[in-house]
Amino acid sequence: MSEKLYQIISNVMKIDISTITDELGPETIENWTSFYGYVLLNELQEGFNVKFTINEAMDVKNIADIKRHLRNKGIEIDG
Amino acid sequence: MSKENSLSYYINNSKEISEVLDRKIRIGLLSSFTINGLKEILEVKSAERNISCMIYEAPYNQYSQEILNQNSNLYKFLPEITFLIIDTRTILGNNFRFPYSISNTDRKKFVAKKINEIINLADQFVEKTNSKLVISKLNIPAFSPNGIFESKIEYGFHSMIEDFNHKLIKNFLNSENVYIYDLEKFVAKNGEDNVFDYNQFFFGDLKISMEFLPALGQDLMKYVIGFLGITKKCIVLDLDNTLWGGIVGEDGFNGIKLGPEPPGNTFMEFQRILLSLHQRGIILAINSKNNFEDAIKVIEDHPYMILKEEHFTSMRINWKDKVSNMKEIIQEINIGSDSLIFIDDDPVNREFVKSIFPEILVVDLSNDSSTYASTIENIIDFSVLKITEEDKNRGKMYKKQKVINELQESTPDLQTFLSQLDLKIIIKEVDEFTLPRVSQLILKTNQFNLTTKRYQESDIKTMIKDPNFIVCCAQVTDKFGDNGVTGVFIIKKENHKEWQIDTFLMSCRIMGKDIEKGIMTFIINKAKENNIETIKADFLPTQKNKPIENFLPDNEFTKEGKSWTYVIKSEIKLPNYLSVKVE
Repeated sequence: MSEKLYQIISNVMKIDISTITDELGPETIENWTSFYGYVLLNELQEGFNVKFTINEAMDVKNIADIKRHLRNKGIEIDG
Repeated sequence: MSKENSLSYYINNSKEISEVLDRKIRIGLLSSFTINGLKEILEVKSAERNISCMIYEAPYNQYSQEILNQNSNLYKFLPEITFLIIDTRTILGNNFRFPYSISNTDRKKFVAKKINEIINLADQFVEKTNSKLVISKLNIPAFSPNGIFESKIEYGFHSMIEDFNHKLIKNFLNSENVYIYDLEKFVAKNGEDNVFDYNQFFFGDLKISMEFLPALGQDLMKYVIGFLGITKKCIVLDLDNTLWGGIVGEDGFNGIKLGPEPPGNTFMEFQRILLSLHQRGIILAINSKNNFEDAIKVIEDHPYMILKEEHFTSMRINWKDKVSNMKEIIQEINIGSDSLIFIDDDPVNREFVKSIFPEILVVDLSNDSSTYASTIENIIDFSVLKITEEDKNRGKMYKKQKVINELQESTPDLQTFLSQLDLKIIIKEVDEFTLPRVSQLILKTNQFNLTTKRYQESDIKTMIKDPNFIVCCAQVTDKFGDNGVTGVFIIKKENHKEWQIDTFLMSCRIMGKDIEKGIMTFIINKAKENNIETIKADFLPTQKNKPIENFLPDNEFTKEGKSWTYVIKSEIKLPNYLSVKVE
């Protein structure tokens, strides 16, 4: 499932899949404005058929946070 | 038609729009809440229709300032259409949650004050710009603190919003500049729980959720289509498995599915919607591979057939291929192929037509006939900002054209034929009654159009008021009746010796009757009366205006450089089969 996650991030944030690391977030990804942050969460919800609570949404500060919340919802993410 | 794409599809694709597109539109976006993404949606949806879309997005909830300040960025941008999307929460403020903390008299006063604010803003806007303004109605939330008792309260929470919407519509009912977008119907169609997502609202102040922003953009595109006049005028239909279920050649008259029982009822409903569109001016035609006798028997005699022969302006029911038939239909109706919609259940036929005529809107019909009705309801390409009398009668007009064509075929030469028609041209100065139709002709006419200058109503009004312009239209009648306003010309008085033809156009349905000669004779004689010595004109060729390319030399204009000149000598005589009257 990591591949799908990376694909969505790459698509929304317009960055190359190979450059995505856990540490990346709004400070390091140029396109990650508050609006693109919503778009990303929205695409993830549709792509993985999950719903983020407002606390989870507020908590996302980097890619690692996204992975953690997806894992908590039973989605298998490697790495 | 197809399911809407996701927001990121539009965001990604908006960056790759070609800059060379047929038409242009400038849109102003004002809102009382975050509508991030709507800009990209409108850009991509416009590009899909070959329109280059420039958008000014005001900072959110700054709409009053943008409208009231004469020097605002909105006005500097010179929008042609401006959308003002407002939401109930913002307009009602504290009264959104606590409407019953004040008396019913105070609720009425509050709504009166709010509606006056919006009307005042709209009036100011109209004064300061030529842009059309589209204001959204307020959505009525399902919830009320009173629950089911809500409808027992005089001027309650829901009534406040209904009253606001009602007053908004009533105030601008006859306005040519302000339109009301029915956001309430948008929410009704898509569902409040879908369109409004509390999670997105709390997290990002989104009052229309991201998933439904593309559908909102689709709705707003209707105004762009109507404004640019790129409306579809004619639906070309297949028969078997499109207007009825089954194949008449195999299943027979009694075997096809058409009637009150399912699935016959799906086809009846589909036909009813087509008829309702026909009644407001959409032309219908048939393009079907069938035995003519089998098919026409169903059309004429089947008890559950809603559409009858009289509703079809052109019928091609034979064994020729769909593209050849399409070419004949286009020729017979004398219509631009870009005004057509093609509906056929067979994907192979659809692909074939699409490959030869990419400009035709080919509808992707699903193989479930219960979806036909909604498919056609969701086509936005019939949108017009105004429905004129000519629109309503269009079907009949084209039908009449068919009779005329038959008369022409049975008459030995053109002059004899024309003299039998009793043609009369009535020239009128454009006024408030003819303006909507004139504007429509200026925006839509492609073929018999000398300069293809696209003026909006406001531009035409300015020219009417300017003594240096003559803005006239021509109404044409013949022995079969009135064709309505079908010609327009605009003359610019360059100086006391020279006139310039700025615009000369005629609807294609009156082409081939020398009407243009009649109008030109009128212009020349009028110029002579005014002691004008030369008339100048330009022919600006486009991909579509070939029919008018010989118009200037045919009327004895001579080419000088890029422009054409007519030197006025004596008065000229009208062909004897035409009469011209001035009103």
